[in-house]
Amino acid sequence: MILSLHHVLMLSAIVFGIGVYGALTRRNVLGILMSIELMFNAASLNLVAFNHFLHPGEVRGQAIVIFVITLAAAEAVVGLSLVLSIYRNIKSVYTEKMNLLHG
Amino acid sequence: MEQTLATLIFAGLAVLLIGLSLVVVTSRSVFRGAIALTAALGVVAGIFALLGADFVAASQLLIYVGGIMIIMLFVIMLSQRPQDHLDRQTNDQWVWGVLFSLAIVCALILQFRAVYRGVFADTVAVPTTAAIGRLLLGEMVVPFEAVSLVLLAALVGAVYFGLEKGERR
Repeated sequence: MILSLHHVLMLSAIVFGIGVYGALTRRNVLGILMSIELMFNAASLNLVAFNHFLHPGEVRGQAIVIFVITLAAAEAVVGLSLVLSIYRNIKSVYTEKMNLLHG
Repeated sequence: MEQTLATLIFAGLAVLLIGLSLVVVTSRSVFRGAIALTAALGVVAGIFALLGADFVAASQLLIYVGGIMIIMLFVIMLSQRPQDHLDRQTNDQWVWGVLFSLAIVCALILQFRAVYRGVFADTVAVPTTAAIGRLLLGEMVVPFEAVSLVLLAALVGAVYFGLEKGERR
């Protein structure tokens, strides 16, 4: 059996689904952030796979993956500093405790 | 022969990636989840290398495994309490979460199988670093600069949110 494009795409779909599950069901904000990183990686996997199988010899897909990685870094840094700030205020990282605007 | 070897390596990495991702979303200890996520990101870098993206694989290792995950581990260690590992880590909607993500996965897999089945690549892997550098500073220079601005904004935002209450003005 030879590696085909849809094998890689199926793997990334599965990883994306696992990330969606984690983002929906984790109580811990840090767990949600980690699930989002999983989804980012599934998307990058797709980009690299399309680049490799459909446009061999070009690097546009890989350049976009560099952007994805950079933006994921920015997102993680801001998200984590927000988590730390919230933890300092309410002494918890669980989403059901973050109901300040709940009324 | 080489193709078969690549397929075997891909299968191993795929099984490893799926298992580690499941640990990330289901493990009761967030710290263990973060360690599993670190390994999963390394496995993704391996798949990148397998697909001929050498520079992207190196950046993935440097930025994700060496940068983001270290910060994440620090934040986890700063924000955990000892009784946390006794608590349930999923909310009440996990059944719907499973159904929803299964629906997404099934839809995606059916589409991918229908459209991209049997697309093979027989190219030899070539170094991509020089080409990516030329692309980033040539055709994609505007998004490149925009991303550097976003990074600066994220840096300032992180410092601002990290300040104590009295220090903000």
